[in-house]
Amino acid sequence: MSAVSRPRRAPSIRGRLLGYLLLPLVLLLVASVWADHRTYVTPLYNAFDRALSHTVLAIAAHLTRGPDGQVHLEKPDSGIPPMPPNSTAPPPPSDPLGEHDKPPLRFEYGNRPSLWTHLFPGGRESFLYRVNLPDGQAVAGDQGLPIARGGGGNGFSYNDAVYKQLPLRIVSYHTQVSGQPVIVSVGETMHRRDRAVRRLDTLIGLSDGIQLLLVLGVCLFGITVALRPINRLGERIAHRQPQSLQPLPVAPVPSEVRPLVQSLNTLLGTVRNAAQAQQHFLTNAAHQLRTPLSGLKAQLEVLAGETRDGAQQERIARLHDSVDRLAHTANQLLALARAEPSAHSPGDFTEVQLEALIGTVADSMLDRAIARNIDLGAECEPAHVHGVLWLLHELLINLLDNAIRHTPEDGRITLRCGLHGGAPYLEVEDNGPGIPISERERVRERFYRAAGSDGQSSGLGLAIVEEIARSHHARFEILDARVGTGARMRVAFPSEGMKEQVLTA
Amino acid sequence: MRILLIEDDPLVSDAIVRGLAGAGYVVDAVGDAESVQSRLDITHYDLAIVDLGLPGEDGFTLVRRLRHDGSSLPLLIVTARDGLDDRVNALDIGADDYLVKPFALPELAARCRALIRRATAAAANEMQVGRLRIDLAGRRAIDNAGRVLELTRREWSILECLAHHSGRVVSKERLIQAIVSWDEEISGNAIEVHVSRLRAKLGESATVRGIRGLGYRLDDA
Repeated sequence: MSAVSRPRRAPSIRGRLLGYLLLPLVLLLVASVWADHRTYVTPLYNAFDRALSHTVLAIAAHLTRGPDGQVHLEKPDSGIPPMPPNSTAPPPPSDPLGEHDKPPLRFEYGNRPSLWTHLFPGGRESFLYRVNLPDGQAVAGDQGLPIARGGGGNGFSYNDAVYKQLPLRIVSYHTQVSGQPVIVSVGETMHRRDRAVRRLDTLIGLSDGIQLLLVLGVCLFGITVALRPINRLGERIAHRQPQSLQPLPVAPVPSEVRPLVQSLNTLLGTVRNAAQAQQHFLTNAAHQLRTPLSGLKAQLEVLAGETRDGAQQERIARLHDSVDRLAHTANQLLALARAEPSAHSPGDFTEVQLEALIGTVADSMLDRAIARNIDLGAECEPAHVHGVLWLLHELLINLLDNAIRHTPEDGRITLRCGLHGGAPYLEVEDNGPGIPISERERVRERFYRAAGSDGQSSGLGLAIVEEIARSHHARFEILDARVGTGARMRVAFPSEGMKEQVLTA
Repeated sequence: MRILLIEDDPLVSDAIVRGLAGAGYVVDAVGDAESVQSRLDITHYDLAIVDLGLPGEDGFTLVRRLRHDGSSLPLLIVTARDGLDDRVNALDIGADDYLVKPFALPELAARCRALIRRATAAAANEMQVGRLRIDLAGRRAIDNAGRVLELTRREWSILECLAHHSGRVVSKERLIQAIVSWDEEISGNAIEVHVSRLRAKLGESATVRGIRGLGYRLDDA
């Protein structure tokens, strides 16, 4: 068994139904052609025999007995030839035998059924004839032609024979010409009737085949129509918001698929409950983590204010830094957990003005920037996105926090928003050392801390940005600053048109 | 200045009491919402700090009840919950400001100061920003040396608008709206000119900080 097995193509219901229909239908086609063949081959042969016997009668009608008692084949006169006993009148041959002084040894048979002539023009066949007396004395025709033996009604006998390597159907007619018994025999090549049978077989096969194709077509149409509710269900699932955990409607689904939808709804319910439990957990965890941290931090600050001892103050400051870092990490972890798609619902998405967002975030971080004498500014063009306000707030806070950390004193940070080719974007540019291209993927990883980053960094900030950008179908790019050194962090949101696709896809 | 603190965690409560005492405030601490009313009945407070996650009646309910009863006491909410939904909700129900745990004591003190200043300004028609005293009724500003600054009508309007939002960035558009009547037109450049003149007149008593692309902020000197 090979280790790498190619995945099997997913079987489709339509393909299977067609497959199961096709084989029996083809068998049915073969059986029906065979049955049809059996049904028409005997009547057809009989009809050919009858036509042959008419030819015999036509020849016999031209036999006369001369004054010398000899029988002759004569050029026909106008008028109806004498009727043989117990026989119906033969159709008059369209190509009368007496065109020549002597009838030909072979002649072309022209008296064919008219439908047959229409269907297969040019089917010209050879006939042989022989007229002789019962004692074998020749009268006319090809005397080598075998005579059909055996009794038929009204003087006709039929037989198959081979003459001059040609398979022939021979009919012999025992009659009397002015009291002299004669035997008139006519041989017709077999392949004429064989071809007739073959052509009929082909016709029947073709018509049955067309029927088969029609049936298959109707089946295909029926299957497609019958499968339409399943396709609609698939579309409904695909059109849902990816975060949506609402149950699927069961009512319009065919009964065969209903158990599947019900199982899916059970699963969605389980996931929904799990998401709610996670939210509940996060809220509790946030409270249980932040309250003691808050107490610890505030107590240390009070302690630092009350102590006059320099060494003590130094120690307290270090403790305070650690508590700050712990608080920061706890906040970041909570933010990361909250940024996951399962943690918010489609109802949280609203119209968010990026300009206002930048104003709020810059305002809240301005003191930190001023403390390091960083020139924090903004270049805003009106732009709005469909997003979760507090997540986008968290995203921008983290980008700006990251920029402030990595920008030297007296540096410069610019927040930007606007439209680029119709697509809204958010940008934070600093004039710090920038991020080397080799690091740009890794800094998005959780807990990754670039060389030279300060002790306060949790290594989660850009991972949070990445996560929030993804939940907004936005692209988080790390670029070079437009001028000089520095990093330019850019979050490119999908444009109006693409957003429609994202929301409905 | 007297502050009522409603906080159930003893460590946090103790630190806030001592920290704000260092900033010159007297803080009375209670551990639940139920004992708030009796305190308010016997003492005048300038501000209440409310923790949202209280045992029993939670902070949201307490704030809503106080506002429903017609109290105009400035309310600062501190909470361990994040998410702007909570913030919007807290401000909607009548809280004046919002601070997420863990916070730094200086920031808490600054927020308390701002809230009390705003409340006092509303009551006394006077504001103190840094060493600058702003007399809203008399429409005049008095610097640390006791001199009345000579301000034009537009400079005064700018100062008044910035003072109402002191410590916060005020956008240029907002300043334009504050200083012009509906039939006037004024450019961003004109605002810059007015602000730089105002800045020169304020001198050392307060600072108007220009924030590139965002607006201006009035800071304590």
